[in-house]
Amino acid sequence: MKISINWIKEWVDLDGISPEEIIKRFNLTTAEIEGVEYRGSDVSNVVVGKIIDLADIENSKNHLLKVDVGSEVLQIVCGAPNARVGLIVCVAKVGANVHGFKITEAQRNGITSYGMCCGADELGIGSDTTGIIELPLEYESKLGTDIKELFPIDDVVFEIDNKSLTNRPDLWGHYGMARELACMFDRELKPIKTVDLSAFEGLPSINIQNQSDGCYRYSCLTAENIQVKKSPIPMAIKLNYCGMRDINLLADITNYVMLEVGQPMHAFDNEKVKEIVVADSKEGDTILTLEGETHEIPAGSILIEDGNRVPVAIAGVKGGMLSGITDETTSVLFESATFDSARIRKASRSIGLITDASQRYEKSLDPEMTSLALARIIEILKNIDKGVAVTSCFSDNYKYHYDTKTITITPEFISSRVGVAVPAETIISTLVKLGFTVNNNGKEIVITVPSWRATKDISMKEDIVEEVARVYGYDNIEPKPFAFPSIPASQMPSHTNEYAAKYLLSTKYNMNELHSYIWSYADFNKEYSIDTKSYLHLLDSSHSGNSGIRSELIPTLLKFMEENKNSYPEIGIYEIGRVVTGLNEENLANEEKHLGIVLASTSKSQEELFFELKGIVLDIAKNVVGVDADLAKCENFPSYIHPRGVGELKTREGSYGYMGLLHPTVNKKLDKRFNVAVAEINFGKLADARVFSVKAKQVSKFQNVILDFTFMVPDSMKYADVMNILGKCRSKILRGYSYVTEFKNDEMGDSRALTIAAELASFDHTLSSEEIETFRTDVIAHMLKNKINLKA
Amino acid sequence: MVEKINELLNMFNERLAGLTSSKEVEEIRVEFMGKKGKVTDLMSGLKEVPNEQKREMGMKLNELKNTITAKLDEKKQEIQNEETTREINSMPEIDYSRPVIAKKGSLHPRTIIQKQVEDIFVSMGFIIEDGNEVETEYNNFDAVNVPATHPARDAQDTFWLENGQVLKTQTSAAQNRILRTYGPKCKVLFPGRCFRNEDLDASHENTFFQIEGVVVDENVSVSNLIYFMKEMLKGIFKKDLNVRLRPGFFPFTEPSFELDATCPFCGGRGCSTCKGSGWLELCPCGMIHPNVLSEAGVDPDKYNGFAFGLGFDRLVMIRTGLSDIRYLNSGNIKVLEQFGVRM
Repeated sequence: MKISINWIKEWVDLDGISPEEIIKRFNLTTAEIEGVEYRGSDVSNVVVGKIIDLADIENSKNHLLKVDVGSEVLQIVCGAPNARVGLIVCVAKVGANVHGFKITEAQRNGITSYGMCCGADELGIGSDTTGIIELPLEYESKLGTDIKELFPIDDVVFEIDNKSLTNRPDLWGHYGMARELACMFDRELKPIKTVDLSAFEGLPSINIQNQSDGCYRYSCLTAENIQVKKSPIPMAIKLNYCGMRDINLLADITNYVMLEVGQPMHAFDNEKVKEIVVADSKEGDTILTLEGETHEIPAGSILIEDGNRVPVAIAGVKGGMLSGITDETTSVLFESATFDSARIRKASRSIGLITDASQRYEKSLDPEMTSLALARIIEILKNIDKGVAVTSCFSDNYKYHYDTKTITITPEFISSRVGVAVPAETIISTLVKLGFTVNNNGKEIVITVPSWRATKDISMKEDIVEEVARVYGYDNIEPKPFAFPSIPASQMPSHTNEYAAKYLLSTKYNMNELHSYIWSYADFNKEYSIDTKSYLHLLDSSHSGNSGIRSELIPTLLKFMEENKNSYPEIGIYEIGRVVTGLNEENLANEEKHLGIVLASTSKSQEELFFELKGIVLDIAKNVVGVDADLAKCENFPSYIHPRGVGELKTREGSYGYMGLLHPTVNKKLDKRFNVAVAEINFGKLADARVFSVKAKQVSKFQNVILDFTFMVPDSMKYADVMNILGKCRSKILRGYSYVTEFKNDEMGDSRALTIAAELASFDHTLSSEEIETFRTDVIAHMLKNKINLKA
Repeated sequence: MVEKINELLNMFNERLAGLTSSKEVEEIRVEFMGKKGKVTDLMSGLKEVPNEQKREMGMKLNELKNTITAKLDEKKQEIQNEETTREINSMPEIDYSRPVIAKKGSLHPRTIIQKQVEDIFVSMGFIIEDGNEVETEYNNFDAVNVPATHPARDAQDTFWLENGQVLKTQTSAAQNRILRTYGPKCKVLFPGRCFRNEDLDASHENTFFQIEGVVVDENVSVSNLIYFMKEMLKGIFKKDLNVRLRPGFFPFTEPSFELDATCPFCGGRGCSTCKGSGWLELCPCGMIHPNVLSEAGVDPDKYNGFAFGLGFDRLVMIRTGLSDIRYLNSGNIKVLEQFGVRM
């Protein structure tokens, strides 16, 4: 929103305060000023002139003018279609600046031209592009006078972010801004001039039928004999500086009053609209708006209709074309109304029309403003066009009154919340300046909130604290430390373990942590035959085809692998992220924090990758979290996993996910050059699992002996099975077994050679060769009993 | 005898001069000093020397033995030195400037910076909490005082789910649960991933991170909040930054503030990061709205506090120099690996 300082100055004297000071103070007190325009600074040496002679130029639309600028008569070549003898114009003399360029002597049509007659758009003070400005005849006495002395062309215009004024409906007009600035700089706020509406009491009233609960107040007034068609130049300047266009007086004046008091207004041609019906729209209602576009009105919007129930405006959004004012209009019905903010927002959004009116209505406007706006518009209109006559009384349907809000507060409360002792006088004077009614009984302050702040902004003590503190100045509040209880905070294991796991994966295993989205990529999954479920979808399925919420991380990580695979022959990526694995009895998402890992390699075998990933997964389980976990037979794994290369991460307490090789179908589709191993771990569950503390084991002081056994083991027998058998052969000197290697060739048939090392040591003596030999033969004999031979 | 000794010594000296390897030295040692060596041979001739000369000859022979042994050791050392020098010189000098080709792992830049931020808060006694990404309408909106008609609830802004839940639009969705869990006196930080129905561009994401904190106690004031924010930002940027509070408007807090800090990159002179203003908008904050407290079972007449939300992805972009927010969720290893594991 743009705010003209000239306009503000009509009600507040800002002398001695620089624009920079206003910006700084306003930023800290009210809202951020995002931009400043020094309007008029690019216009100089433009004076009033009179066309005293006009001659056609052969083969050209241009005319040769003689223009009297008081001290001299200038010869000017001019192309404006409205140039004519006797016209009072704005003349940019040689050397003048006009909206960014300099006027010089110029050859046009072979004739030297000494200046330019200016159009409003060329000076940046109006929207008319059809010709040069036609000044009223009264300016004939001002020939040669700089137009800046006659019109408020020099101005400072602030641009304020609309969003930052969301909660301040009162600041959507200049008068509200003037009140704010008057308070900020402790200056007086002059009253806004209006006619006395009660003067029209004897006139006929307009029939208003308000059938909609969404219309809080509908006020209107009619006037006739409006002869002036064009807005006065100062009015046009202000409208243009504030980002609007000047069109014709009746359209402009409604905009003008809206920019002043913040109340959107509409002018109907009184010949076409004589009665008002406010009604909720029905399915299929349409309207042709002022812009000439037909809009379908969604049911539940509010429509303004005429006496024949023909829609004439979308309430709070846009007026209709057929009922609107034209150049011929001389009698008018002015609407000034208040509607339910939510319904206007909904209508405006669903129709796709965001207007100056709808933006204001969305902020919950004060219904008390409707009468002020009408009294103001008649005041201005009568000043511009003396012949205007009001033809109706102030007609008003005031359906919904906001409650009057009173807040009782003490200066102590305010001071304790601000953290600075604010004197009662400061509190009171601040609030009074902002329009609050204050009653101080010495102990408590009873505050009545002004209607323009009571629609949603201010309702409780904390709101008053804000008003006082912001005007007091946040930069004047001294920062003060405060005591915290010194209790060590215990942190959640799932959170601290998350960092530890990430550091391990990224440093020890050189993997890359990636972040992705929560969506399940249906198209990608389909293309690569990845069967994954979404238990929950976005309500609005138009979200670029990815409306499902993921239930596992691996499909997304495979997508990332696919996107990166041409840059890296070896890929190791992981993410710790959220997935939704179903809905509970209450139909709420069952959310889990998962760790997903993808290892892909163009050089390693499937087996190598599998065991590399097994090492990583167990490292996290055992060394990061501290649980005693291992892989076990996996029954439940996704269909994109290789059924013969998969294991479940388990402890005695439970299961925490799986790891495995990619199914050949998916693997080939992704890229057959790569072997891929993946793991999907329920990290939240794992991190909360019971941790076993590590106790020191006794270590022998005597030399240990490592003894290798190579057994021929049937392929059907797993390492764990072999260890189960071995474990039954007990010995005092056995410290433990470890896996060494395994090997297989064609001659071995359905068996493989498995090498296991036994570590032997005694706690009280150095082992003798007899002891070692006894152990060896015992083991071999034990295994033989279990039909496992030593390799020949 | 003397002649024989001199002869042998000369012969030895001659042979010694021609030696080039330790092996040859050892061969000569055996030849002269071995059990059947030339010196031993000569020694056995001592018994034929007249008795009066025996002592003198014995000394001379010992001298010969010592000389030969010393010279052999000396020669051996010399040759070993030469051999070591040859060995050293035979190896090409290592080009220490050659880079090491190693696949380097990386943490997501968010992880690195989030840890740094969290460490600061942990040192201030905060508990670090977590929150769900799929939230109930109650937690996301009602519990934190967002009016039923607030535009934020529109489908244009919020990802609504089929079951009536939402993808949380702000970390404040966790406030109610956290205040209920930790009671009226608490300091909790809760980073989290949030979602808004936005079109993506270089500075807009539909999936982004925030870090939110709440402090609830008795008699907490705006001046406490300013103090806290200042110290916290000092910790994050490792610089004493000027901060300013501007009025803001959020349903969760009253009063609400926008907290700006002097741009840490230009020191307030104005640069591209702060778009010339000298200030960086860093952290919306405010005094927790009484409705939010009472909704979580905390008596707002007795307790109050403040809440703040760091626009964390913005901080990450500032710190990393990444100009496009979309990189953060892109899974683009080339972009993300460059930050390694620390910043």
